[in-house]
This record gives sequence, structure tokens and C-alpha cells, in this order.
Amino acid sequence: MSLIGKSPERPDAFDKVTGGKAFPVNVKVPGMLHAKLLRSPYPHARILSIDTSAAEKLAGVKAVLVPSEVPKRKFTPVYFVPANAGSMVQDMLIMSDTVRFAGQPVAAVAATSLRIAEQAIELIEVEYEELPTVFDPEEAMQPGAPQLHDHATNNVAVNPVMGFGDLDKGFAEADHIFEGVYSSHRVHTCYMEPRVCIVDCDRQGNFTVHSSTQHLFGLREKLAFALEIPESKVRVIKSPYIGGGFGGKLDMGYIEPIAALLSRKTGRPVRIEQTRHEDFITTARHPIKVYLKTGVKKDGTFTARHAKSILDTGAHATHGAEVINVHGVFGLLMTYRCPNSKWEGYTVYTNNMIGGGYRGYGSPQACFAAESQIDEICEQLQLDPIEFRRKNAWHAGEPHPMVQGLTLDSYAFDECLQSGAERFGWSKRKKADSGKGTKKRGMGFACQPLWVSGCIGFPDIYEHSGAIIKLNPDGTADLATATMDIGSGQITTLCQIAAAEIGLPMEAVHMVQNSDTTTVPVDAPTHASRATYSSGNAVQAAARTVRERLLMVAGIMLDISPDQLSVVDGKILVKGAPKRSLSVAEVVTRAESPFVQHGANGPAPTTLEEKGTIIGVSSLAPKANPSPVSVEFVEVEVDTETGVVQVLRVVYAHDLGKLIHRNGAEGQVEGGFQQGMGYALMENLQFDPVSGSCLAADFLDYKMPTAVEMPRDIQSIFIESNEPSGPFGAKSLSEPCITVPAPAIANAIYNAIGVRIRELPITPEKILAALGKL
Amino acid sequence: MALNLEDYFLPASLQEASTLLQRYGDGAMVVAGGTFVHGLEVRGLLTETVALVDISRLGLRGISESGNGGVSLQALTTLAEVGAAPLISRNPAFGSIGDALQYPPRQILNVGTVGGCVAAAAPLYDLPAAFLALDGQVQASLAARQRAIPLNDFFVGLFESALQRGEIITAIELPAPAARSASAFLKLETNANDLSILNVAVRLTLDKDGKCADSRVILGGGVGETYVRATSAEAALRGQTAGEASFAAAAAAVVDDFEAVEDHRASAAYRRHIAQVYVRRTLGTALARLG
Ligand SMILES: Cc1cc2nc3c(=O)[nH]c(=O)nc-3n(C[C@H](O)[C@H](O)[C@H](O)COP(=O)(O)OP(=O)(O)OC[C@H]3O[C@@H](n4cnc5c(N)ncnc54)[C@H](O)[C@@H]3O)c2cc1C
Repeated sequence: MSLIGKSPERPDAFDKVTGGKAFPVNVKVPGMLHAKLLRSPYPHARILSIDTSAAEKLAGVKAVLVPSEVPKRKFTPVYFVPANAGSMVQDMLIMSDTVRFAGQPVAAVAATSLRIAEQAIELIEVEYEELPTVFDPEEAMQPGAPQLHDHATNNVAVNPVMGFGDLDKGFAEADHIFEGVYSSHRVHTCYMEPRVCIVDCDRQGNFTVHSSTQHLFGLREKLAFALEIPESKVRVIKSPYIGGGFGGKLDMGYIEPIAALLSRKTGRPVRIEQTRHEDFITTARHPIKVYLKTGVKKDGTFTARHAKSILDTGAHATHGAEVINVHGVFGLLMTYRCPNSKWEGYTVYTNNMIGGGYRGYGSPQACFAAESQIDEICEQLQLDPIEFRRKNAWHAGEPHPMVQGLTLDSYAFDECLQSGAERFGWSKRKKADSGKGTKKRGMGFACQPLWVSGCIGFPDIYEHSGAIIKLNPDGTADLATATMDIGSGQITTLCQIAAAEIGLPMEAVHMVQNSDTTTVPVDAPTHASRATYSSGNAVQAAARTVRERLLMVAGIMLDISPDQLSVVDGKILVKGAPKRSLSVAEVVTRAESPFVQHGANGPAPTTLEEKGTIIGVSSLAPKANPSPVSVEFVEVEVDTETGVVQVLRVVYAHDLGKLIHRNGAEGQVEGGFQQGMGYALMENLQFDPVSGSCLAADFLDYKMPTAVEMPRDIQSIFIESNEPSGPFGAKSLSEPCITVPAPAIANAIYNAIGVRIRELPITPEKILAALGKL
Repeated sequence: MALNLEDYFLPASLQEASTLLQRYGDGAMVVAGGTFVHGLEVRGLLTETVALVDISRLGLRGISESGNGGVSLQALTTLAEVGAAPLISRNPAFGSIGDALQYPPRQILNVGTVGGCVAAAAPLYDLPAAFLALDGQVQASLAARQRAIPLNDFFVGLFESALQRGEIITAIELPAPAARSASAFLKLETNANDLSILNVAVRLTLDKDGKCADSRVILGGGVGETYVRATSAEAALRGQTAGEASFAAAAAAVVDDFEAVEDHRASAAYRRHIAQVYVRRTLGTALARLG
């Protein structure tokens, strides 16, 4: 246990700071071709003809691919659901002759160099018939709006409606009713490594795939489905790590199937690397507009809540069909106790880019609405916002509000509120707009009262994890798993869990570098705050098997019952007889040694029972998806002449069950704050209102906070409620860190200057306009 | 948009560089620190370029006094070296330079050059605004010919300068500031990697009664194709006692001096508002620097 909660060095750190040779973008395969996609300049159009003859004649061009050549099976590229999942919408083709957003690929070229491929796509002549466009989801829902897909009347892709109790009765019982519209915008995860892949098709039609992806098995399944081939024909190589994902690499892109088809055509490996501009139009957090109406008693008890959420999914439904549910259920319906609730979600097609996964998966949009409105209620009714939340919150030991059969075994919301408020100095908060001078300070906070550590209980979502751990004769262990390290430290925490469970020093456990879908058990993606919990459980189970086998062999060697033995720091210790200890290396060497061994008295047989590699294998789905909970307090300073907001300090309190890696956990909080603050104040993926084309070429156009804008003081408080179903008591951390900053900052801005901004991002211009200065 | 680069040269002399530039004409581009290249490339603005002429071997580095208090900054001096030079940092007249160098990221400061930031002729850059407020001039060389171009005449359009084909900037010269002069600079940006949404550089020269004998008010960022000299704001200051009232008048006047750009980064109304706030604030800082 001594390793748990410490901060051992990340095994991948050295490699990354010396160039990161294992990033997929750095992989090279002999003989590979380079491909480039030709993308439509129009947001809605029908392709009338494509003339590729000039491109084909260019020296160095090896193949051209056009929509008529791709398989006709529609699919959803989303990874963590089966290809035919009923809750998803199968509305995509690898390439289509109908264009639905500016930037959709309409042709591709593979050539001997990237430069030739770039030149070749400029030689392709495409004749388009432009179609009427719609960019606003509410306009798209109007009768008579341009229709994007035949199957979706009024462009609504999915329309979940859920609720309980009696809404009318609830509003009738309310002393006060609050209504507000809260809207959010499109932001990108800004993973540093671009989407990139190399696909190599052999002569038997077997595909080997390298890709910067968050999910090996998802890519295998989706690629096989889209290509209409058996899954065993696709082998996805696990790269040791990728350069960030944050949910932005949770679906197959256009590049993987296109590279696959070009490879099949040419018989050579084909590499496609996206530019930053292409990455910007590949995935984004969906804009969601939330109409939120809440009834409360005088004392602040909720009596009724009604929410309507309109999600702009862009040209295809993909993640939008799932994000809407997570948003509604975990963001609005179930966060607090309210007896009469109803929520309606609309995932709406528009001629905008396709949305994707992004850390938080619908909850940042909801949390902004819900936690802003709670602040408004407390302000108007003069209620203590901490007490208000406590009154309406769930408590440990209650049934899980969302997943039947589960209990909130560990749930330390009160402690988060209390310890966060104390550390922050919440009691010193002044009344709204009470500062003097041009720069005014304000304090605010927000909560994520219910979240997940994986997806058990969700329809159609995989929750498997697996691990193989094998001991070596030198006393080290190899750990193989399909869980991707997406930058958030999964290699480290999983090695740490294995080391702690077996009883090895941290440095003795190595993550296997190049497993692939043929060698490791099936796994869900690294998403949904699940890896430490779900993969951690699988690793712990495999490690337990290893330890048991290790002790069995040691028991034979020492002629003692295994229950008299323990493994500590690479040594087998005998209860009450420390001098008789063996090293793990000696035990493994013995297990792998020949049956007959030379001893002092000549050759003698050992036992058969002890022979063989000491190995543990697990493949399982966890028992639960326990709920973490978090609270974040921030202090801001607003320049009332320029509207510029600076965040001065942050205190974040989070119940994560058990802290596994302290530095890693703090990194999650700080990175989450950076993304959450960017969402709140500046990040915005913008599009030309007429042509629909993305205005961001690179990070000059897309602004995210740099180290300079970050508050100098971010404190993390980790509450250890000890989750009984988790590895060493752990549950999850990642996503609440990104969910709470926007409403906390919005609430602090209100406290500073007395104006409420309900539309993200809260730019200086909006602040000045709200102050009546613009 | 495909890149068409064919050649890369590292000439050892100005003469050689000029010859190469003349040979390739519009197909050649000078590279000093090279920090401008990526931004052009991703926006498809480099497709005509077939040869890069890297001038980093030409020396042209250092900062020196150019007689009676003026300063000469050689073209390949890095932005960081400018910021660290006592000749600049100790003189309140050059305060705007130190201010402008607060903004670029460290990597850019270490690599970007004085000549490059001026030659780029992008009104979104900061340091040139400060140079304009100080009445700086460009020294340019074409083969054996050397000429001086006042910065006021240097910026012709967006990415367009008064340099002739083959001409290379060798230095930026700042004349000796008049007594009782101070300058200041402010930039509105979204993050530390941003180019100006709007920037303001001012210089204030007071007479012995504390009245404004001379001033410069320069606007950059989203103000059009080139930097703008705000002559109405300068007129509002002339002969007035330097202080809140005259600074407010200058701030009010500045909106007549430029056509604010309206784009996805900011509205024109916001830029006009910020111009006023920043003119007032920079003038206040300059005055404070005069002690
Ligand atoms: C991420 C980033 C952030 C930035 N932030 C800021 C900022 O906050 N504030 C700011 O003001 N600027 C900023 N910049 C711009 C930066 O200051 C300029 O790019 C830099 O100063 C240019 O110098 P360079 O030596 O790198 O020029 P280069 O890139 O080498 O050249 C720039 C241009 O000038 C020409 N050129 C260069 N030297 C000469 C010469 N001696 N004679 C003739 N022509 C020449 C080149 O042909 C080219 O057209 C930023 C740039 C980047 C990439």
C-alpha cells in the first residue's frame, strides 16, 4: 500500500521530453505513401462530377479515391458502442456525394510524397450543385428548413425525453420560479498530436493500423464495419502513448478508412496526418442551448425542474446521439434531488462541422446552466449557496439516482463543500458589485454533484477492461493492457496499482510497449473518467493472480504455507522469520527453471506444480461506476474599463475515493482548469457565417489559455471516501475538473460586477456590453 | 495549398544575399529568425515562394549608441537582446519598447529579430508601434547602396513595405529623444500567444512647465492595413498640461483617427472603446515615468 498516494516518476516522462519517438505521428513504415484529402469548400452541396484525370497523371501519384468507390454501408464512427447500437444513429459514409459541412472530404490522393499529394488534390476538378444551408439548430428545427438527412424530420436526429413526478404540481408548489436560457459554443480539445494514421493492407486483405486513438478495439470494430470486412482482418497497434485526446480521439476519423482503401488500392502502407486546421474541423464540444426552469420553496428546496436542451450536432449525429443523454441525465435531471423533473433533449443536424467527444461529454454545458441558475436563485432569495446545495444534494448510502441496483457507497459532497470553502476563505465573500475602483474582485463556486467512473448502467456502452501481467526471472513484471495512455498518466497509475498489489517496487513494473488487438483482452476506451477505476480494477485482479501464484511457488521453495508469506518491495517475507526471505527474482527463476535441478546432492526433481511463467490475466467489467463529486471555488478580477477577466486563485475539492498518484491527480485538476477557464473566457471555434468555413488555421486564431493566463494559485483538496468497489478504494477524477470552472467563473464575475452572463464564452465585449459601456 | 519551396540559401555577405534576392525576385523570401514563416504558410501566403534566403550569417547583431543619445539596433538583434540592453531599459523615453517586449512569448523573444518584426509590415506586431512613436528609421541596403527610410514612410500596406526587391534591413535607428520625454505601450490580446487585437504606443515630451510640447500616438492591431498615427489625439495634447484632463481629451479624439476593424476577434465598437482606454492609460504611464 505504501506506493499508493505517492508520486513515482512517470515511466514515459524521459521518452517524451527527449522527443517522444513513440507518438504515432513519429511512426514511419518502409515504403509508405502519403495521402491528402480534398475537402469541400461548400457546407451543403451535391457533387455532380469529379474529374481526377489530371491528378492521376501527376508523376508520383499512386492512387486516387472518390466517393463512388467506397462501401455503401452507413455507420457511426463512435467507439465505445457496438457498430449497430440502437441508441446511436448510423448516418455516415466514408465519402459521400452529398456534402453536409464545409471541409467534408470529397476525394483523396496517395502519392510518394506529401507534396505531390498536395499538388495532386489541387488538380482534381469537382463540380458541385450548391444546396441551401442552415447553421442554427433552432432554425433547422423549423418546418421548411433545409433538410440534411432523409431519416430526420425537422433535422432532429434523436429526441430523448425523460422525467419523473408531476411537473405541474411541482411548479404549483413552488414559492418562486426561475427561468433562464444558457448557451454554449464550440470548442476544440486541442490535443497536441494531430490525428494521424498509417494503414497497411497486405495481399490477403489484412489491415495493420497505427493511429493516434483513445481506443484500440473501437477503431478495429468501426474500421472493419465501415470496410465490410471481419474484425479479425484488422489489427490495431497500440502505441505506447498518444499526444493527448481529451475525448477528441474517441471516434474513427475520415482518415483511417480512406487510408485503408488507398492502401488496398496500392498495396502499400498509406499515411495521413491532419493539419491543425483539419483537426479543428474534425471534432469539437457541441454547442448546447439550455432552457432551464426551476421551482423552489422559500427555503430553497427544489419542487420542480424542467429543462430543454438543443444540441448542434452538425452534419452527422455521431457523438451527438450520446452526449445529449449524458448532458441531460448527469448534468440536469439527476445532479440534485428534485421530486418533479422533466428533461427534453434535441440533437439537431446543421451544416456545421460534426461534434465529437470532449472531456465532460455534455456536462460542462449543463453544469454552466444549472450552477449559474442556482447562483441566481440564491442571490435573489438571499440564501446561502452552500447550504442551498447541501439541502438539495444526495447523501452517502442512498440508492444511486441513475443506476438501478447501485448505492452511493462513497459520496463525500458535504466534505468537499466544507473543506473547499474553508481553505478558500469563502466566508470573506462580499456582496455582489461592492468593490471600488476600475478593477473589481469577486468570488464564486460551482459543483458537479454526480458523475461517473465509467459507464455501467448506460445503454449500449462497453465497460470491459483487461490486463496481462507476467513476471520475469529478474524480478520485474510486464503489464500489457489495451488501455491507452492519452497523456493523463494511465501508464503510471496502472503500473503503480500492479506494483502495489503484487508487492514490487514501482520501477519493476513495465508497460508493454507495442501490444495490439490480437494480444491483449478487449477494453473500453480511455474515456468517461474510467481508466483508474475500471482498468485499475482489471490490473489489480491480474496482479492478485500473480501474487497468489508467486506465493504458491515460494511456499514450495520454503516448504511453508503461502498464507505465512507476504510480498514487500520485491521480497517474499516469512511471518516471524525475516531471515528466510527470498527475492521475487529467485522465485520466478525457479518457476521457469528445468524440472530437474543440480543441488548439493546431485540432480533432483522439483515439483511440476511450480513450473511455468508466473502470469495473471483478467478480463472483466467492474461492479459499479461510483460517483465522484467536486466543488470549485475561484476568485476573479474584472477590469471594468476593458472587460478583461483574470482568474486569481482556485481551490478545488474532489472526492476521488482514494488518491493513487498525487502529482498526476493535481495535473488533472490544473489541466482541467485550464480547459475549463478557456471554455469560460476565450476559446471559441469560429466559422464564417456565410460560407460556413472554419476561421481557425492554427493557434493564432484559436485562443486557449497559456501558462501566462493561468492563475498562480491552484489548490487541490482530495477527499478520500474509500470506494469499496474501486482499486485500493479509488474512483474517478478527470471530468469534473473541466466541468465546474465555467459556472464557478461566471458566478465569481457576477459577484465582482453584479452582471450575469448566460452565454459562453464570457468575453470582454460581453462584459462591457452588460455593464452598459459598449 | 501546396508549398513550392525549392531552395534554401545561407549567404555569407550582404552582397551575396542581395544578388540571390534579385535573381529570384518575388520568388525569394528573406528569413531572419524565421518566426513569421509558419503563419504565412498555413494561410496559403507562401505559395509563390521558391527560395528562402537565410540572413542569419550576416552578423548585423548588436545595439549601440549612435551619437548624442540616439540608438542603433542592428537588424539581427533578437527581441530578447533589445529588452536586456541597458541603453533601452534605463531610458524612460524608450519605455514603450520595454512595454512592447512584455508581450511576445519567450521563444519568440529569443529567436525573432528587430529587422524581421519591422520588415514583416504587419500592423499586428507590437515593437514597430513603439519604434513609430519614437520616430525611428530603417537603414536598408541593396548591394552597395545604403539608404535610410523613416518608419513613417516604411509601412505601405499589409505585408507591404517600402523595401525594394533585394533590399535588406540592416538596422533600426532611433533618434536621440528630446529632454523630458517618456513613452509607453499597451496591447490588447486574448492570450500570451496572440497578435494585437489593438495596441497603442505613445510618446510624451513635456516643456519645462509640464505642458505637452510634442507627442506621438500610434495605433496598431485591428486598425487597417498599416499602423495609424493618431493626429487628432496628438493635437488634443499639444500645448496642454499633461494630466487627466488632456489625456481624456486625447482619448476622446482618437476615435476620429482610425477606422476600427470588425472581425471575429473583436467588434469595431470594442476596438474603438479600447483605443480610448489605452490612450488614456499609456499617456498616464508615460507621465508617471517622467517622475
Ligand atoms: C507564436 C508567436 C507569437 C508572437 N507574438 C508576438 C507578440 O506578442 N508581439 C509581437 O509584436 N510580435 C509577435 N510575434 C511576431 C514576431 O515578433 C515576429 O514574427 C518576429 O519579430 C519576426 O522576426 P523574425 O526574425 O523571426 O522574422 P522572419 O520570420 O525571419 O521574417 C519576417 C519577415 O521579414 C522579412 N525580413 C526579416 N528580416 C529582414 C531583413 N533584415 N531585411 C528585409 N526583410 C527581412 C522576411 O522576409 C519576412 O517577410 C509572434 C510570432 C509568433 C510566431
